[in-house]
Formats: sequence, structure tokens, C-alpha cells
Amino acid sequence: MRSLKLIWILAEKDLRLEYRSRQAFLTTFFFALLILVVFQFAFDPGSTALREAAPGVLWTALLFPGVIQLNRSFQLEKEEGTLHGILLSPVERSLLFSGKFLANWVFLVAIDLLIVVAFVIFFNFSFEAKLAWILLLILLASAGFSAVGTLFAAMVSGIRTREVLLPILLFPIIVPTILAAVNGTQEVLLRHQPQFLVRWIQLLSAFDIIFLAVAFIVFDYVLDE
Amino acid sequence: MPPSTPILTLSHVSKNYGIVTALRDVNLEVYPGDFIALFGPNGAGKTTLLKIVASLVPPTRGELVFHVPQPGKVRQLIGYVSHQSLVYNEMTAVENLVFYGKLYGLTDLQHTVEGLLEKIGLWEARHQLVRGFSRGMKQRLTLARALLHRPEILLLDEPYTGLDQHASRLLTHMLRDLRDEHKTILLITHNLSEGLELSNRVIIQNRGEFVFEATRASLARENFENLYFEVIER
Amino acid sequence: MSSTNNQDFLPRSQKWLQISGWLLPFLYVLIVAALYGAFLYAPRERVMGEVQRIFYFHLGSAWNCFLAFFAVALAGVLYLVTRNEFWDHVAAASAEIGIVFATIVLATGSIWARPIWNTWWPWGDPRVTTMLVLWLIYVAYLILRSSLPDGEKKFKLCAVFGIIGFLDVPIVWMSIRWWRTIHPVVIASSGGGLAPKMVHALMIAVPAFTVLYLTALLLRTAMHLHQGVARELNQAVLERGRP
Repeated sequence: MRSLKLIWILAEKDLRLEYRSRQAFLTTFFFALLILVVFQFAFDPGSTALREAAPGVLWTALLFPGVIQLNRSFQLEKEEGTLHGILLSPVERSLLFSGKFLANWVFLVAIDLLIVVAFVIFFNFSFEAKLAWILLLILLASAGFSAVGTLFAAMVSGIRTREVLLPILLFPIIVPTILAAVNGTQEVLLRHQPQFLVRWIQLLSAFDIIFLAVAFIVFDYVLDE
Repeated sequence: MPPSTPILTLSHVSKNYGIVTALRDVNLEVYPGDFIALFGPNGAGKTTLLKIVASLVPPTRGELVFHVPQPGKVRQLIGYVSHQSLVYNEMTAVENLVFYGKLYGLTDLQHTVEGLLEKIGLWEARHQLVRGFSRGMKQRLTLARALLHRPEILLLDEPYTGLDQHASRLLTHMLRDLRDEHKTILLITHNLSEGLELSNRVIIQNRGEFVFEATRASLARENFENLYFEVIER
Repeated sequence: MSSTNNQDFLPRSQKWLQISGWLLPFLYVLIVAALYGAFLYAPRERVMGEVQRIFYFHLGSAWNCFLAFFAVALAGVLYLVTRNEFWDHVAAASAEIGIVFATIVLATGSIWARPIWNTWWPWGDPRVTTMLVLWLIYVAYLILRSSLPDGEKKFKLCAVFGIIGFLDVPIVWMSIRWWRTIHPVVIASSGGGLAPKMVHALMIAVPAFTVLYLTALLLRTAMHLHQGVARELNQAVLERGRP
């Protein structure tokens, strides 16, 4: 019980800092929006190719801004050495990981939801009834992204080239998450074959569980100097 | 006259960062109530030593043992003031202390925080964001953060840096009070006279090794600066 | 010289060099036999023609690529348990060799795909795509290595990434297979039964490549170790030379 409370204390602190500097949230959102718009120019307006590619465009627009957020979540702890402050306290490191993971997850889901609204408008989709499925995909995919991403962000936080290094490490590892999210979204929006959608959701869940557990365990090793 | 059992022992502790040796075969026994002043030029490995004692950095070789009733709760015993402030700029003084207090699992948090803020003279500014604090105010909050959980062992890494005369004097007074409360203190400082005045033991470190150790009582204040340079340049 | 421990491994690395010396004659014989098996002994495939002979090297490399990446993860676990720098040298060596094998797999696959499937890059084949992702993961591993100065921190981070990378392999494989089976598959997976002589050729080629991997691993690990020793000696000279 005390562990859960500590996780929440840590996550709540991060979310409060995010709220105080709303500018970062808006910048990240704006970047994602920009990707959506740029992709529009890559296709003929109103073509079927654009509709076919739409799910891929959506998730691309979520990935790159997401990486920026992950990097930021540890940079803000380096600024005044507050990471040391937390490590000095009797809180276990795995709880620190959990708190960061939770805050990043909430942040990413919030961005994703806003982007989905923009996506619906730009790509002219209507998915009232399918919204629950999209929401589920967003929750699961962001969890996997944030689990591995939080671990890797902690790993690269002391490296000068972290801005490029994080996506280089992260994207190959989360290929299953990307594939499942894009194809799941395709099933929801374009193909409507529920048996395949369920399969992708299973894959996302399996990835989340495996890598949350692994990251939770190995996080102990990655913050030492 | 130190009590017979040390609170903390370092035996043959070394630390390498890659191929660079920051600390080489250091042995140290710290007794409860000790006030050790640690001098030495930049790059001597003083900060590394403090980080190892704070369990922020694992030693490459050697052992660090705390002789306390509950070795699992060592982190509760240690207060640490580093070069960085360890407080969040985008939170207020109260929020910072309450956050850290919760991490330490303190009971009666509200009362403790208010008492501390009053003691260090940040009561008026308690609901202001740290971003707007002066260097001296921030350093005071840093100290309050380190003292929040009433640690038995205090590790201070150049706490005088950047303080004006007023804040400097406040710090000296606080350190004197802590010494009189028989807290165990390790102080790194470049200010030889300040360090000498407060301590009961003096260590000079150079290139990762202890090159001089003495009790304060055996040292003459006037000659110490000459002694320091002699030892460093040896 | 108290600050070093790479030098403690020197006797072991001498022994390894010796072992790799003994392995070399076997390696020569096996490689010649594998070449003979692939190019002369094995019959010409009826449909695909001569280009099918690349398959023996393709498979030999693929197997050793997985073996090499497994060794990276295993050495990572051993490092985290023992904190012995030696295992980091093994992991580094194995990752480098694994990437060479993965590159061979991708190149030979591409050469084979061009006449057979009429495309340089058969995205439709889950094996090729998985191998590409694997290649990316381990190139990222080497980039991580080169971004960090030597030391415990580097060894720990690389061990963690090596373990996660290998755990990811089966999930990547499964996700890519599902991806391809859901989409219309243009390309059917390659032929079923092999002629007995082809199986014989394969049975030579795979062990030959495995011995090649082991020999390279011994040599490369010894090289990393000696590099470590050289760095330490250099540093010792620098430290002593200081006024």
C-alpha cells in the first residue's frame, strides 16, 4: 500500500510540474499536429492512398513528440540535481521508475487524445462507435512505449547525445508496439475484422506486461554513476 | 575523546570512473559526533567520497559499513547537501519540503515543515516558486531539505559556495548548533579558517588519497595554511 | 598498478588466443568442405537454379547471428551478476560479430530475392523483416556502446540493453508474422523438401559457420581485452607523469 502511495506521490509531482509548465505540453502537441499536416502534403488530397495510410500517419505523429517528452522527464530532474534528491531518500528505485512511467503514460495519453481529435478532423473519419476501441489501443500502445521509453530515457539521461540516442534505441525495440497499434487502428477504421483486432490487442498487452516487468526489475542498474 | 565504536567505516574504498581513478584505497573511521573538515584541491575526489558515503555511488572496490541498529534504514540517517540545490524550481518552498517529507515517510509533516521554514528564515517566501529565489534563499531551502528528516549524519559539499556574508553566517550558526546536538558531520570546504573553526578532525585529500589526517586540537590555526600547501605540493 | 583489473585477465586471454590457434586448422578444413558442399556436391536446384546455393551460407549466418545475440544477452546477465568487466568484452565482441552475420543474411537474402521473388527487398517475408529489425537493434547497441566512456556505467547500460534486445526478438518475430499474414501475401514462403545432398551440404555449412563464429569470438574478445589493458597502461602513465 505504501508503495502505491509513493508511486502516486512521485507521479503526481511530475504531473504538477507538467501542469505548471503547460508550454511544454503545448509545444509537444503542436509538433504532433505539424507532423499530421506535413503528411497531408505527401498525398493527393482526398485520395484513397491517404485514407489507407492514415493509421500509420496517426502513430508516426504520436511517436516523435513522445520521444521528446520521455527525454524531458529525466532532464527536468537533472537541472537541479533532484534525481539525486529522490535517490537519497529511502524510496526504492523501482518505485521511482513506476512513478515516472505513470506520469509519462498519462502525459502521452493526453497528447494522443488531442491528436486523435485533430486526426478525425483532418482525415475526415467518423468513428463514434469505434472510439472505445481507439481509446483502448491508445492506452495499451502508450503503456508499452512509456515502459521501455522511461527505462531508456533514464539510461541516456547522462549522455550528451541523448536527443538522438533515445529514438535510436527505442524505435527498433518497440517495433511490435508500432505494428500492433497501426494495424489495430487499420482494423478499426478500414477493415473491420474483429478477430484480427483482438489479436493485436493481445500482442500489445503481452508486450506491455513483459516489458513493464523487465524494466521494473532492471531499472535498479541504470541510474548508478 | 571519541566513543569506542565508529558509526561509519570505510575500508580500502576505491572508485574508478572508467580508467580515471577518483578515489584510491581510502580508509576512514567516523565516530558519532565527529565534525570532519575535508580539504583538498578540485579533482581530489572529495565529492566522490561524499557520494559514496551517501550511497549515491557504489564503490568500485572496498567496503562501506554503517554501525547502526537498522542497517536497512541507512538512508533515513543521511542528510546531503551537494553542489546542486536538489529542489524543484517550479514548486514552492513548502511544496518541495512536503514532497521530500512524504518520500521519507515523515509523520507530522505540516508541523515539521513550518518549523523548519521559520528557523531558516523562509517563512515569508514559503508560498513562492523557488524559481524566484535568490542564491542565498535557495541554499537555505537546500539545507532545510537535507535536515528535514532529522538525519544523524550530515554530508555537506561546499555549502558556502555562492552565499553572501549574511547567509554564510547563518550557515555557520546552523552548523555550530548541529555540532552541539552531536550530529556527525562531514564538511567539504575551500574555506580553511571556517572549516578549522568548526571541526574536531581535519583531513586533506589529494589525487584520490588522504595525504594528511589530524585532530583539530593538534593543529595551530596560524600555520595551517602553510601546512596545507606544503602537504598538497608534496 | 592497483587500479586495473583487465591485466588480471591477460593469462586467460593468452589461453584463448592459443585455443583459437588450434581451431584455425579445423576452420580452414570446414570452410573448404562447406564451399565444396555448396558449390559442387549439392545438386543444382531445379526451379531456382544456381542462385539457390547462396542458401547454405544464408542459413549458416542466420543461425550464428541468433547465437551471437543470445551470447550478448547471456554475457549481459553474467556481467550484472558478477560485475566482472570480462563479460562486457565478450558481449561487445559477440555483438560485433553478430552484426556482421546479420549483414551477410540480409545481403544474401537480397541477392537471392532479386531473381526468385523479383524484388531486392522482400518486405513480405517475415524472416527478412525480422532480421532487419534485429540488425537495427544491434547497431543501436553498438551506437550506445560508443556513446559512453568505459566504466561500470557503460557495462551496466549495455548489459541491460543487450538483455532487452534479445527478449524482444520473439515478440518482433510474432508481430511481423501476423502483420504479413493479415495483409495479402504476394510471396509464398520458400520451397518445402530439400534433396538429401542439399541437407548434407547444409550440415557442413552450419557447423563451419559456427566454428567461424567461435574463433572470431575468441579473437575479438582477446582484442577488446588487450585494448582495455592498453588504455589502463596509458592512463597509469598519464597519472604518474603528472607533476
